[in-house]
Amino acid sequence: MDTRSEVAWLARRAGWGLAPGELDDLTAQGTTSVLEGMISPDLNGVSASVSPWAEFVVVEDKENPGAQGLEALSLWLEHLAVTQRPFEDALGWFWHDHFAVSASVVKDLPTMIRHLDLLRTESMGNFRELIRKVTVDAAMLVFLDGATSTGTSPNENYGRELQELYTLGIGNYTEQDVRAAAIALTGYVVRRRDGWNVQYIPNRHDDTPQTFLGVQGVHDVDTVVDAALDHPAVPGFIAAKMARFFLGDVSSDVIDDLADLFSAESLEIRPMARAILEAGVAGESSPIVLAPLPWLIQAVKATGAVIEPERAVTILRHMGQQPGQPPNVAGYPGAAAWLSSSTTALRFSASGVLAARTPENAPTLQAAAESRWDDLADLLVRPEGFSQSTIDALSELSQPVGLRPGESRLALALASPDLLIA
Amino acid sequence: MLSRRKFLGAAGGVAGATAVGGGAWAALIRDSVEESASTPTSTTARPATTTTSTTTQPPTTSLPVGNRVLVLVQMAGGNDGLNTLIPASGLYRDARPTLAIPESELVELGDTDFSLHPSLAPLSRWWNLGSLAAVDGVGIPLQSRSHFKSMDTWWSGVAEAVSTTGWLGRWLDATLTGDPDPLRAIALGGGAPALIGEQSLATVIRSPQAFQLQTTPGTDSEALIQAFLSTASPLNADPYLALAQQAIPTTVESVELLSQVFSDSSDDTSDAGRGPEVLFRSAARIIDLGLGTQVITIGLDGYDTHADQLSRQSNLLEDLSAGIAAFMEQIEVDGHADEVTLMTTSEFGRRVVENGSGGTDHGQGGVQFVMGPSVNGRAVHGDLDLTDLADGDVRTTVDERSIYAEVLDWLGGPTDDILDGAYERIGVLAA
Repeated sequence: MDTRSEVAWLARRAGWGLAPGELDDLTAQGTTSVLEGMISPDLNGVSASVSPWAEFVVVEDKENPGAQGLEALSLWLEHLAVTQRPFEDALGWFWHDHFAVSASVVKDLPTMIRHLDLLRTESMGNFRELIRKVTVDAAMLVFLDGATSTGTSPNENYGRELQELYTLGIGNYTEQDVRAAAIALTGYVVRRRDGWNVQYIPNRHDDTPQTFLGVQGVHDVDTVVDAALDHPAVPGFIAAKMARFFLGDVSSDVIDDLADLFSAESLEIRPMARAILEAGVAGESSPIVLAPLPWLIQAVKATGAVIEPERAVTILRHMGQQPGQPPNVAGYPGAAAWLSSSTTALRFSASGVLAARTPENAPTLQAAAESRWDDLADLLVRPEGFSQSTIDALSELSQPVGLRPGESRLALALASPDLLIA
Repeated sequence: MLSRRKFLGAAGGVAGATAVGGGAWAALIRDSVEESASTPTSTTARPATTTTSTTTQPPTTSLPVGNRVLVLVQMAGGNDGLNTLIPASGLYRDARPTLAIPESELVELGDTDFSLHPSLAPLSRWWNLGSLAAVDGVGIPLQSRSHFKSMDTWWSGVAEAVSTTGWLGRWLDATLTGDPDPLRAIALGGGAPALIGEQSLATVIRSPQAFQLQTTPGTDSEALIQAFLSTASPLNADPYLALAQQAIPTTVESVELLSQVFSDSSDDTSDAGRGPEVLFRSAARIIDLGLGTQVITIGLDGYDTHADQLSRQSNLLEDLSAGIAAFMEQIEVDGHADEVTLMTTSEFGRRVVENGSGGTDHGQGGVQFVMGPSVNGRAVHGDLDLTDLADGDVRTTVDERSIYAEVLDWLGGPTDDILDGAYERIGVLAA
């Protein structure tokens, strides 16, 4: 790949796309510098990390209870379209998909926002510490019932998913381990009437030492987390999940190397994340099917389309990826869902809306009107150009008199198979 | 309006390549499933007892097999069987001090030892007509208490190895003639891995109301849709781009053909109640349209009731029974009742003993319902014995693949090839 293709790969796969002109800037900057700026923004002069919800004020509105949730979501979408720390947000999104905590269960906006901010700010920290914090995070305690799990009646929900989904993968633990973790993690409550604060109540906890994953004397959060994170399956499980998310179908050699690195670095996420991006720009990745959220944000950035938050959220919900509400504890579905008839139909309809909302002077609209297909593809962060079938379809599409020049063609380009694959 | 033939013509170059695409599609779905070292073995299900309350036998339908439709309702999360089909047993009440359904609220099922959850009261009509049966203690040996591992076992019908195809996908493949038709199998409410075949295609409709190809005012809609189709052919050499291309003609065709289902104003669906009921009403309309659809799945979720189970399951079962009742009444009105078998599934039952959160944790044997003209109804099949638990769970007494086998027989088979074994038929459906 040349430099332009390398930085475009980073923007599509590890970022949120690019606005017109940005691909030129990044190409001039060079791949190494761009990658370092994404991996270590604080060391490279990037402006400080800011929460999407820094200015968000919670107001009780009994007349319209959904309005605040919608506002929180629109702040998130706006943030993703302008973030100066795109990889931090991409990893925050990866962890949201990994832990899959849903606002439909948590039902408290500030608690959900604190959870998402935790995932974003810790996104490149230490995985052991991330798990420790998530284990006693109010949103997780509510989501997987830790908040109602007591010594006399332990609830197994978190104890199971901690192992199956969050750290080890199935086959690396027994039903006895599920029960042992559940018992050792008892005692936490979420004080709903006191700002949803987390409190440890000793008489709700069963401190009986458990044997958990072969480790004796496990009896509380720290010993559970340490026993789980010391398990030899952790580096490979997390390396495989993160590598597939960003690199697609990669060889087991690549995953093994990443796992070794993750293990050698004491489960620090940043070095592994750097290695993943380096593998990507070195061409050690396969194409991926873009999920609805990155597809939408990338289209909005490239076109400058102005779209109401309600509409954006509706589009994402019908496409099957409402931020903050993964469908189940396994997170959002994968490529097959994004290729389904439902998502395809919505992608087509949404592309028309985006093209109609693209400003008059937008470079994408002008390139489409003037049949400059290579320029249009470059603006859509595909410097390699469109496939021939898409160029043929664009060229043959007439420009109806009732629309601005280029509008139908821009809609077609956004809906094309080329834009679904990154 | 574009004709179906026109769309099929436009899709022609693509349909021929679906053998490759179907396999790659399956691989994409399966990419997160780890390898299993075990090898497939043919098994025969263990015998199961049948608790039959009556000898009522509805007449066996003589309808041509090809017109039959299976509706599979998937209750994701692991529905609590014990609070769905409630046993008249003191052990049940002992294990459920706060969750046991009060006796005064139970919906009695004839002279069986079971009652229905009060939210399922609308189903008693079909019980009394003899076209509803329940199966208790149902599961698949080697299924796990993990949602995802267990669902893998249920949708594939394969417990002993990793399968890339679903049990219904294999039936669609085995009975495929000509090019795959994506409308033979329709998944409402979300994707259904049970429909994954090597060659066959399925249409996924997450939200029926949003299943449209909309264009903005001033657009030449037909030209834009034709151009969208043009981006799909010829297929690109890049397999990923080819997958993205293949989704387009099947989508355009499905939207066109199904637009009647979701836009027909003669029977207003805009006030069709909560989400699930829209899916059930859509299923009834799809059947009435006569597009050759043979399998419809309806995806429902929320059954993972680790906490607050009483109110949550009550709402879920109320939605379920309202949806089923609306569906059954509609197919009766439309004259299709003798063509349709409906069955519910859920990936596992839940613990017998309630937890401290007002809920129940993951267990083993569960409950399912089967409805239709060939059902040996007014009966609870299978066996439930609360004095003989398996590690604190309801023991699996019926291999779900026995039920799959009976349904596949009803659809015309070849059942034992599809299930890779001759599972015992326990008589939930008339032979």
